[in-house]
Amino acid sequence: MNSRERVLKVFKGEQVDRVPCFSGMGNVTEAAINQLGYKFAGIHLDAKMMADTAASTYKMFGFECGVAPVDLCVEAEALGCVINVYPQAEGILYPTIKEKLIHNEGEMDSVKIPSDLASRGRVPLLMEAIRLMKSDIGSEVAVGSYVLGPFTLAGQIMELNDLLKLSFKKPDKVARLLDLMADAIIIVAKEYEKAGIDYITVREMGATSDVLSPRVFKNLIMPPLQKISRELKVSSVLHICGKTNDIVIPMAEAGYTAISVEQKNDVAETRKKLGPGAVIFGNYDPYNVLVSGPEELVRATMRKCIDDGVSAIWPGCDIWPTVPPENMKAMMDETIKYGGKN
Amino acid sequence: MADDAKKKEIFEKLRNGVIQYDEDACREGAQEALDAGLDANEAIFDGLVSGMEEVGRLFEAQEYFVPEILMCADALYAGLDILKPHCKQMDLGVKGSVVIGTVEGDVHDIGKNLVKMMFDVAGFNVYDLGRDVPLDKFVEEQLKTDSELVCLSAMMTTSMVGMPKVIEKIKEKNPDCMIMIGGAPTSKELADKWGADGYAEDASNALKEAIKMVAFLKKLRDEKLKK
Repeated sequence: MNSRERVLKVFKGEQVDRVPCFSGMGNVTEAAINQLGYKFAGIHLDAKMMADTAASTYKMFGFECGVAPVDLCVEAEALGCVINVYPQAEGILYPTIKEKLIHNEGEMDSVKIPSDLASRGRVPLLMEAIRLMKSDIGSEVAVGSYVLGPFTLAGQIMELNDLLKLSFKKPDKVARLLDLMADAIIIVAKEYEKAGIDYITVREMGATSDVLSPRVFKNLIMPPLQKISRELKVSSVLHICGKTNDIVIPMAEAGYTAISVEQKNDVAETRKKLGPGAVIFGNYDPYNVLVSGPEELVRATMRKCIDDGVSAIWPGCDIWPTVPPENMKAMMDETIKYGGKN
Repeated sequence: MADDAKKKEIFEKLRNGVIQYDEDACREGAQEALDAGLDANEAIFDGLVSGMEEVGRLFEAQEYFVPEILMCADALYAGLDILKPHCKQMDLGVKGSVVIGTVEGDVHDIGKNLVKMMFDVAGFNVYDLGRDVPLDKFVEEQLKTDSELVCLSAMMTTSMVGMPKVIEKIKEKNPDCMIMIGGAPTSKELADKWGADGYAEDASNALKEAIKMVAFLKKLRDEKLKK
């Protein structure tokens, strides 16, 4: 069973020899970027560099996937926001939104999806990167991509501050915007599907239950998330950050193949709640464990994830690029040694 | 001077205005406090801040979430804007100025703004650098303003890693400057490792930490008044 088969089987809920160790979010490493002779700021703007970098985590460490993009601004940029890739930065800085699309409440109703969304911004570049990665490593590992969730995307194209307040004061208005965001996300996701991805992760990071009440989550966030899942053809993952224990049931009911939770989720409890059939990915801390931790903490954390009942070892967020190669190796080694025990 | 019952009523109006995110009530309450000749500092602390303390509690009890807190903050500012020009300089023996901002690579500023609010309340001079702030800017601004406190905020792991560089540079030039870091990915371990003096992992904790600090200032003030 190679990595690709293992991951695809997990998505189907079939028996595997051990849990896989992969991600649906960014996982490029500085070690690989340096080896390739690239610069972090450059890999977002060049399909080949992006594909090479994305494939390198598998090639160097056996991490069981290839994922592009690397940043979180693709959809917002295609919708018309201006991004900053920090071309002059010495270290690693992820692109951010420089210029929003909606500047006040009144503009919420006038925002439209450009009819050529699929060919705007870096969507075509992403398709090329996915194709390149697919022909490079696609027979050995599953190739994935990600899009933002509707609320998170809305929080990029307008002030998050305003969006949060309006989600309380004027939920109908926000609901309309989120529905539109879902349409935009579906268009981008379908392009990635055409390019040949095996799975896609929807990252609804802004809608964590640390921020919004479970009631708002159910009324406002769920409907557009369900709209997206209905349209996806490939295996899909719904990722939400923060303390998600109170919303894992609606998460599981949102229609995605798998759910992804981070370190603040008590996965043993989640597994108990959702039952043995649910596909649950998680939930190690990619910074405080994988980057900062001594090797023994990395190994112990992987064992705990497996004991808690994850379907795949999977990080709580993007893997931070300065991750020490020894820790990547320890993570893979421990997964292989211990991951078949259940 | 207003009698005690009147005073209590006005403070209660300010407090409830904050809790019920009612900006108009806070504005009215603030004006009434001034008209009645009440001490503006007292109205801020026993009215507005007292309300915010309750909001912090409601957040912890998961009755309130971030949207509510933001609306409460708007209400607090509505009252504060009216009261602040009438505040006597608080003589607490601290100069009280702070440089605050979200580090480069991060455009999230909700937690930062909540902390800033509590510094505003406490009468600090707040130098708000905004968000996506180049690291050297913190160092420059600290030197320029000689602030005794610098607050660095980041919501994403992907931007937090710039923090130790700023801390090192500031401490190198001014070892007495206190540094507080905040944001979801921060932890006590990281704060210790990087040489920061304090941390708060999210907006509510930041709010709590800031409230604690302001409550401490209030205690100092009360003790001073008793003497």
